[in-house]
Amino acid sequence: MKDAYLGIDVGSISTKGVILDDEKHILSSAYIWTEGDPIGAVKRLLGLLEAPFDQSEYRIVASGTTGSARRLAGAVVGATMVKNEITAHAVGTTAFYPETRTILEIGGQDSKIILVENGVAVDYAMNTLCAAGTGAFLSSQSRRLGIEVEDMGQIALRSKHPTQIAARCTVFAESDLVHKIQMGHSKEDIVAGLCQAVVANYLNNVAKGKRIETPVVFQGGVSKNVGVVAAFERALHCQVRVDENGHLMGAIGAALLAKSGSARQEFRFATQEVEFKTREAKCGRCSNNCEIICVYRDGKMIDAWGNRCEKGDVMHRKAQ
Amino acid sequence: MPKKNKTAPARGQLTIGLPRALLYARYGTLWLTFFEKLGIQTLVSEPTTLETLNRGSDRAIDEMCLAVKIYLGHVDSLVGKCDYILVPRISNFGVRRAMCTTFEGMYDICCNVYRRSGQKFLAYNVDVDLGHDEMTAFFAMAGEIGVPVNEALVAYRAAKKAEARAWKARLEEQEALAKCPGLKVLVAAHSYVAEDEYIGKPITDFLHGAGVTALRADIVDRKAALKQSEKFSPTMRWELSREIAGGICQYGERVDGIILLSVFPCGPDAMTSDIYIRRLKGVPILNLVLDAQSGMAGVETRLESFVDILRFKHGEL
Repeated sequence: MKDAYLGIDVGSISTKGVILDDEKHILSSAYIWTEGDPIGAVKRLLGLLEAPFDQSEYRIVASGTTGSARRLAGAVVGATMVKNEITAHAVGTTAFYPETRTILEIGGQDSKIILVENGVAVDYAMNTLCAAGTGAFLSSQSRRLGIEVEDMGQIALRSKHPTQIAARCTVFAESDLVHKIQMGHSKEDIVAGLCQAVVANYLNNVAKGKRIETPVVFQGGVSKNVGVVAAFERALHCQVRVDENGHLMGAIGAALLAKSGSARQEFRFATQEVEFKTREAKCGRCSNNCEIICVYRDGKMIDAWGNRCEKGDVMHRKAQ
Repeated sequence: MPKKNKTAPARGQLTIGLPRALLYARYGTLWLTFFEKLGIQTLVSEPTTLETLNRGSDRAIDEMCLAVKIYLGHVDSLVGKCDYILVPRISNFGVRRAMCTTFEGMYDICCNVYRRSGQKFLAYNVDVDLGHDEMTAFFAMAGEIGVPVNEALVAYRAAKKAEARAWKARLEEQEALAKCPGLKVLVAAHSYVAEDEYIGKPITDFLHGAGVTALRADIVDRKAALKQSEKFSPTMRWELSREIAGGICQYGERVDGIILLSVFPCGPDAMTSDIYIRRLKGVPILNLVLDAQSGMAGVETRLESFVDILRFKHGEL
């Protein structure tokens, strides 16, 4: 029996999962939409991961979760490591590309830049608490244009004269976009303009003041959009590498972090039949009135969070 | 010479309300000692909670910054419970030593918001450009509540001493922290943000929980800081921002990372944060802008990853 490690990355838009062996080989991987149901997405994801995974040869000895729903996913799979997505991405990418100097990452609701020196992350920046210029922006604009977000890249590449679109704020960008449509700009040019706008926004906000050194790796859901990749290459005057597993780097990082962590907890795929429910409760013990999320596994509370102080520590109180 | 206010109630029965927000973080000791020396009761509002913020938001207009919304929440909790609420109106401390317009307008905003409540507000006007320094402000305030100038002067001097002592202790405390081994982070924020129970404290609590020593850029040798702020810009005009800039100069090289913490939509910070990010090289910076959102998830992700990156640099992860 060989050891394997499970990594799950539950983002706002998509849910990613991998199973790695000791040599960082991907034994199984999956990529699905979160569709506003992180618990359901994790269950579906586990189903997809289980199929090609040889359980007679390997057993999963540690599991890690990352992404904005990392705590929830961690509670569901009983993760041994719950880490934020920036650390997970840095670990995942530097494990595969130790020579990387800059990691560009644009996800569904956030974007970040990670600077790497000698295989170690040394600096990073993240968008402020606003989703302008992220995947959420592209998908809402694609709906408005009546095209699939997956097709945007190819459409953008057909454009010769990308339309200028103000990208500082999604709301302004949207009204600018509508205006440009009504003026008669072609769809290709507008889509290419959107890709350019995402890049301009990223470089002016997230990457502001950061020295972008090559090699540059581009990740996150938006890296699947070849139009944005091309816009990055034009703006940075260098090659921008997109790994075919780039979308999995967060999950890979989570698996590697679980591997390097000391905790061990064997994971079996039985979780899919178990019923998980969450319930929101108002604490009410002081005027902060924290919103506490309680997670139930088959009707039994297994975790709770959201409290600002120990007064709302439901798990702790229950244990007493 | 300020005139004695004939309608004021007897001094022993007076209660002065102090909102625990904005400049309370800076002048709390000074004000409390002053009134204490005069035998006047004070009532300080409770530390900020979500309710404070909600009450304040109801009283504020949209464009006001989060700190002002919180301030109005504190004022709201004091209305009707004291004879006067002290609301300072500070314009400047001299040339290129201006305060954010918020501090200039706060007294009038409060008077206007609560104009039908019958609540009286105690003005405290500092405008050094026009010849109103801090002492003049105290004398005027004393006159308003029927305290003679000679008594006010004694109380003011005692309050100044207490303030200097308290400040010295804080500087020493910070210096001791700066000498601590292990990971250190400088939190560059206005005192009223960093010290607020609801918005600032969770940040320092998080750092503390992660085993990081948090220094504060606003706890700094202020005189030296004003001079040092010129390193970033010779024309930076806000007194509080210049102090923080000086704090970054004094502590920036002794920490592993800097957290720029501001509240949305702070005008001065929008400008100065940008300057710091562009000018400071070689030190990781986290730019955190807080808004009136109850969820801490986004903030925690950013703090956790920031600390991870700092640990990465030390090869500790």
